[in-house]
Amino acid sequence: MRSGNLAGLGCILLVALVFPFLVDTYWQTVGILAIFYAIVAASWALLVGYAGQFSFGHMGFVSLGAYASALLVQWLAIPIPLGMAGAVVLSTIVGAGVGFICLRMRGPYLAIFTMAFSEVLRIVLLTENEVTGGAGGLEVAPLFHTRSNLPSYYLALGLLAASLGIMSLMVASRWGLFFRAIRENEQAAAAGGVRVVRFRVLVFAIASGFAGLAGTFYGPFIGILTPDIGSVDQMGIVVAMAMIGGAESLPAAVLGAFFVEWMYEALRAYGEWRLVIFGALLLLTMRFARNGLLALAWNQAVRVVPAWRRTQPAGGAAE
Amino acid sequence: MAALIEAIGLTMRFGGIVAVRELDLAVNQGELVGLIGPNGSGKTTTINMLTGHLSPAGGRIQLRGERADGLPADRFAMRGVGRTFQITQLFSRMSVLENLLVPGLVRPHSTWDAARRQARLHLEFLGLAALEAAQARTLSGGQQKLLELGRALMLDATILFLDEPFAGVNPYLRDEIIRLVQQLHAQGRTFVVVDHDLEAIQRLVHRLVVMSRGQKIADGTVNAVRDDAEVIRAYAGV
Amino acid sequence: MLDYILIQALNGLVIGVIYAVIAAGLTVIFSILKIVNFAHGEVYMMGGYFGFFAIALLGIPPFASVIVAMLLSFALSVLFERTLLTPLYSPTTERKGDYGILVTFGISILLRNLAIILFGPFPLRPPSFFSGSFSAGPILMSWDRIFAAGAGVVMLVGLLLFLSRSAWGQALNAVSQSRESAAIVGINDRLVYTLAFGLGGGLAGGAGALVGPIYALSPSMGLVPDTQAFAIVILGGMGSVGGSIIAGLLIGVSEGLFVALFPDPSRSLAYAQAFSLLVLMVVLLFRPTGFFGRAHAAME
Repeated sequence: MRSGNLAGLGCILLVALVFPFLVDTYWQTVGILAIFYAIVAASWALLVGYAGQFSFGHMGFVSLGAYASALLVQWLAIPIPLGMAGAVVLSTIVGAGVGFICLRMRGPYLAIFTMAFSEVLRIVLLTENEVTGGAGGLEVAPLFHTRSNLPSYYLALGLLAASLGIMSLMVASRWGLFFRAIRENEQAAAAGGVRVVRFRVLVFAIASGFAGLAGTFYGPFIGILTPDIGSVDQMGIVVAMAMIGGAESLPAAVLGAFFVEWMYEALRAYGEWRLVIFGALLLLTMRFARNGLLALAWNQAVRVVPAWRRTQPAGGAAE
Repeated sequence: MAALIEAIGLTMRFGGIVAVRELDLAVNQGELVGLIGPNGSGKTTTINMLTGHLSPAGGRIQLRGERADGLPADRFAMRGVGRTFQITQLFSRMSVLENLLVPGLVRPHSTWDAARRQARLHLEFLGLAALEAAQARTLSGGQQKLLELGRALMLDATILFLDEPFAGVNPYLRDEIIRLVQQLHAQGRTFVVVDHDLEAIQRLVHRLVVMSRGQKIADGTVNAVRDDAEVIRAYAGV
Repeated sequence: MLDYILIQALNGLVIGVIYAVIAAGLTVIFSILKIVNFAHGEVYMMGGYFGFFAIALLGIPPFASVIVAMLLSFALSVLFERTLLTPLYSPTTERKGDYGILVTFGISILLRNLAIILFGPFPLRPPSFFSGSFSAGPILMSWDRIFAAGAGVVMLVGLLLFLSRSAWGQALNAVSQSRESAAIVGINDRLVYTLAFGLGGGLAGGAGALVGPIYALSPSMGLVPDTQAFAIVILGGMGSVGGSIIAGLLIGVSEGLFVALFPDPSRSLAYAQAFSLLVLMVVLLFRPTGFFGRAHAAME
């Protein structure tokens, strides 16, 4: 890994670890939400940016994970972590299923189908309100029985680290190569021996599993779930996060999530205008900086490190 | 001796049109076969079926004696069937080396080092070694065709289907491709080459198969086929 | 009971005409720009509001407001096309399909939330085109619905005539078949793209203005027609205007029948929305090229 990247990541990690102690509880909550979105955005970036599977159904898996976890705990009286695990397994399996039935679809068709899937799920969750609480919401028992945000924060951070770690390992391995090959040219990938069916299903399963994981954390943290979590607007926020950060890079998508979530809070005074602003930002990014605004900025910034090292007195080996 | 790859009664339909009709074609180990015919005669469709990119509507495909029709393209590739495309299909934004690493790493026990070494050997052979780090889309048309060949080589393909390798290629590169194919053939590989460049085909192949309107109308040595009246009619009628 | 089914089917037919108009607009955009417009439902929504404010602020009679709505929607679409879609025509833009999806998706978010701010989140109902209802035997239908269907038919016929008879319409056809060939014969393809996107938007906006008095306007009213339009366009065969018209009517009627026949009335309306989504998913699964479509190039 380039020294610039390593230094940058190190800084961010440090800040992330001490963050809760630097801010008040309001911003701690914001931070936790940012981490939640980061997991969602990163897994979306894996699916869409890396493997080229254009899905607009990602938030459907987040809500599936959230509701499944909450309902499992409610109905079976099992401890929350077990409910979470079960919900993650469910999301992964459903994700694999969606990936499988979508095998013949590509590009806009896939986007439309997955969007429809997500909407159908949302409508069902909304309508079956005896089970799910509908628009009024489903109350979810919290994980930690303390007023402090710290346990939630570090759990979230841990989940993010684990998710990013697993996804990054995948991306660096030959699987990552195959995902990219499928994205670049599915026909050539098949002619090259890549098991397209297997890897398309796999990437859907994995991305949906992580989305579901994020959902299972969300419920207990917020305390109440509504079907809105799977709405198109929520999908739009995640899309904006990943694209503004840089959809072809997982860390960039994470930073995009942090950035957008921060902006969402910082611009709280603007109320409804925020989504308009994000929409506009997304459009500007697509129009002028397709690989992501932040990815662009990061690449410029990390050049500073090698340049700085070169100005140090000689002694070490060349870069 | 069983044919290396064999099509028996192969048929393909697109909507109402029968693109390939009851085709019987056997290619034996070590052959260098040319597949020619007027436009629309079903040559590319046949290749697509014989490499798994299309599922035949009827008939069978035997690969080394085993049923292979209905298998997806990647299964054919893993069984040593390589192909190039009429319009080159590469991983455009990946580097030349990565384009070869993909097929190099599909086998379960392959390692990155071994794949890299093999890829570099093939790039050397194809004359593309200097372009290893370049993005595939920056290559010239001819270089891209060679890279596609490299992809098939990385699969240790024993039979290679080349779809119009000479299309739009300058005479120097054409000779280069002929030379490479002959070299690879001498190493024991089997080739089926589709092209409209009859001069190049005649220089290259020993056996010529002619298709017209989805059917095989001639199959023999170059000389025999050239004088075949039906073949002449088929080409003239276009 | 039969009367109820008949009425629902007729209502479905009316709404089917509206769907057909929306879908026809989407088809025009798709055949010429080769992108799927995720913002189509939002232009439909804006058209509805344009119509409302034309009446409220300018005192235009309701049925003329439809024309104003169409013109303004046309203008809005042209604005977006000029500012955001031009990379689609440049050979250096990669992955144009993805770009089209993301940009139009972004536009939809922008418009929907802008509408919430400008018009408020609560439904608004424009005044009726014609008050009262028509009744004959068991059939009872408001004049608004009849007008909407009629105006929709006029729009569709107009569109078909435009595409087949006028010079610009034929230019659109030419570009939809082959951009390069069209350019060679001297058709200004840039202008055709703008026209196509504007025309598609104009149709959607007109449809929005027509349904305003019937179903009321709200900022999120475009979401469901959006996916319905996709279902229709795919069912009718992407690229075939005639196909989308037929499919639109079919979906409208089936939706009406669904509502009538669904066993649980308290859920029927909610699941009616899911119905067209499910139709869409089923069509995508089994007949991605639709029933009437001509073979079209891959959308990537």
